Amino acid sequence: MSDRTIPRPRLNAAGDALRHQRDWFATLRGQAEQGRPFALVNADVPQELLRAMDLPYVVNQWWSSIISAKRMSGRYLEALRERGLPDDVEQYSALPLAEALSPRGDDAPWGGLPLPSVVLADCSGDSLRRMFQLWESELDVPFLPLESAAAEIVPENWWELMRHDWEMAIGTARIDLLHLELQELVPRLEQLTGARFSPERLAQIMALSNEQAEWNRRTRDLLASAPQCPVPVNDVIPAVMIPQWHRGTPWATAAAESLYREVSSLVAEGSAVVPHERRRLMWIGRGLWFDMDFYRSFEQSHGAVFVWSMYLALAADAYARYGDDPLRALAARFCAFRDQMYTPPWSVQWYTKEARTHRVDGVVHLISPDSRASWFTTHALRQAGIPVLEIRADNADGRSLDPAALHDQVARWIESLPDHE
Amino acid sequence: MESPAPRQAAAELRAAHDDRGLHARRRAAQGRPVVGYFGCDTPVELITAAGALPVRLAGRAGRDTSSARTYLDGAVDPQAVNILAAILTPQDHDPVLDMIVITHDCDASLQLFYTLRELRRIGAETFPPVHFVDLLHLPGEPTRRHNLGRIRRFADQLAAWRGRAIDAAELAEAVADHDAARAARTELRRRRADALSGSEALRWYAAATAMPARQYADTLTAALAGAAGDRPAGRPLFVSGSTHDTAEVYDVLEDDGWLVVGEDHDWGDGGDQPLVGVPTLEALTDHYTRAVLPTIARPPHRMARDFSEAVRGSGAQYVLTYCRQYDDAHRWGHPARAAAAGVPAALLREQPYSDIDLPQLSSQLLSQEARMTR
Ligand code: SF4
Ligand code: SF4
Repeated sequence: MSDRTIPRPRLNAAGDALRHQRDWFATLRGQAEQGRPFALVNADVPQELLRAMDLPYVVNQWWSSIISAKRMSGRYLEALRERGLPDDVEQYSALPLAEALSPRGDDAPWGGLPLPSVVLADCSGDSLRRMFQLWESELDVPFLPLESAAAEIVPENWWELMRHDWEMAIGTARIDLLHLELQELVPRLEQLTGARFSPERLAQIMALSNEQAEWNRRTRDLLASAPQCPVPVNDVIPAVMIPQWHRGTPWATAAAESLYREVSSLVAEGSAVVPHERRRLMWIGRGLWFDMDFYRSFEQSHGAVFVWSMYLALAADAYARYGDDPLRALAARFCAFRDQMYTPPWSVQWYTKEARTHRVDGVVHLISPDSRASWFTTHALRQAGIPVLEIRADNADGRSLDPAALHDQVARWIESLPDHE
Repeated sequence: MESPAPRQAAAELRAAHDDRGLHARRRAAQGRPVVGYFGCDTPVELITAAGALPVRLAGRAGRDTSSARTYLDGAVDPQAVNILAAILTPQDHDPVLDMIVITHDCDASLQLFYTLRELRRIGAETFPPVHFVDLLHLPGEPTRRHNLGRIRRFADQLAAWRGRAIDAAELAEAVADHDAARAARTELRRRRADALSGSEALRWYAAATAMPARQYADTLTAALAGAAGDRPAGRPLFVSGSTHDTAEVYDVLEDDGWLVVGEDHDWGDGGDQPLVGVPTLEALTDHYTRAVLPTIARPPHRMARDFSEAVRGSGAQYVLTYCRQYDDAHRWGHPARAAAAGVPAALLREQPYSDIDLPQLSSQLLSQEARMTR
């Protein structure tokens, strides 16, 4: 059998999204340089609120990914080190701060991020809060923190409850807290930036973003049920993620729809990443950002394909919130956000369900020191009869992993899995 | 109760530190329950009012934590892992618990709670019932309201557990007892630098969280009456950063010629609290929302100011920010604290539980001192 990976052009949806992102950022940057306020927000902050104020925002983690991709992390982190600040704690979230503390250079990624007018983050994690405080103490940029409440009791199978029964799934106390905080945040942001909140706009934004989540769900369901995996997961990632940063805009909803249509037609054509798919795999944990090709390197040799991405799966299950009160629904979208992916039983039940519905033959579980509850994840998958390969890595930057050794380890494990043929 | 003589009182405080199960066993022998808690903002008054003895969970040097580390395997402070090991496999001197209470005062406490909840759900281990009290600490009204709901819920949970609501008289007595302990601790903070070694002071503080509150107040007051006003020898050092729930690190420091004259972690001076005063759930809420702030929740401007006052007040000539492995959040504030201190300040990272890298400490502090005096 001659397994030959069919070279496939990048998804149109991915190319479109990348172009849109560049244009959007250039506009935002231009306006910021003319003095228009903008916010820098952590990924877990209810960004839809800012959109409903027509206040532009940049997501901290997205901008970090741009800095990393342009290989500027090392230089920017130097600025933290010089001030006696940690350059090895939450580096990823710290990169935009590090950039702001660094001397401005001509080689800044995408021209560099202008100084934000305000930064927002929730208080999840001891370091994150301390780090965001430095925007205020070192750069005079106001920091508006939000609480990150935790629940004592959580129900089973959150993904069946979150769209409509979120009040029950999350619990009134946590939703009340963020709901109230958002109500207090509006006048603070209005005062700091001069932007104006519009409840009507928020209602439209919630409707559009729910529609976007539905398209993502259809795409995910299609990829799960397609007889063979029609498109490499790392091509799906930008096509899903970039519209996520524009959640609640007509463009983002249309982008999610066109991704779905593109994947549907690939499935209808009978496309397959590997012509004779023999093993379907799932990756859990940090991505190997330094070696994206790794994911595809078992296609030819083993007929093995990674079929699942956390980004699409979260976009499919974790965002939709319906209800009559858009602000409360928005609070419900975010107040249990991390639990869905990090906190057992929610995280482990969800991974197990996704592994089953995607019919995976095995899971590669990368455990970095900041992973949470990894023993429980592996345990639950194995209880469900799914083979798991655990890989322990000190960090995801390649220093602690020997790529060749890792490749051999995974290859040997794949060979030990049952074969479809 | 009659106050013991100063020497005897001091011995009792030490005994309560060295054997944290001592008073728990005495209580259990009277048929009364013991509640172990994790989190500096635990509303201990409610536990006392419900007729139970609150004992703050502490680690122990040298404990085998390998199986606990399997479950709590992320980047979690080894102190929390040590406590998980004690919950799963209690040994001599570990208090035997009827209930466990965990608050949300830092990452480690939340991870410890999640781990116990999941271990129970999958039936992997057995241990006493666990309650989580989600107290948060931003200064705004939404947080206070949230915390009031959590405190009411906790009072209800305790009532259901013992089969009877906490009444006003019980709460008033508990608040008065714990306030007496607070007042005695404040006196300890004022006088320790001139009278006690750091490790002795830390033992006296730690006893507060393993003894009945009123008995502690009386014993500490008696012990302080005998604390002479001559300062122990040693280079005066202020300790910041991770908490120290046992005196091992202080012992090592003081054997090496340092004298710990103050600290801002909550097992020591940093656990100093104003009085609650009014015995209501609202007053407890205000107290545990705004007066008791976990290190991580202290706003930076306030931290720098409190820090320089605490350092000056203690007479310290050196500062140490001690960060246990995975307890890195203190590092973000170290440069500001070092600047506020105005004396040589060292940062030790990735320290193992109950130990310290002494050569690193000396080399950092002495080289800075040489530079400052030049
Ligand atoms: S995609 Fe998920 S993990 Fe990544 S930043 Fe967004 S919310 Fe966080
Ligand atoms: S918790 Fe993880 S994903 Fe979130 S910001 Fe920190 S490193 Fe990134």
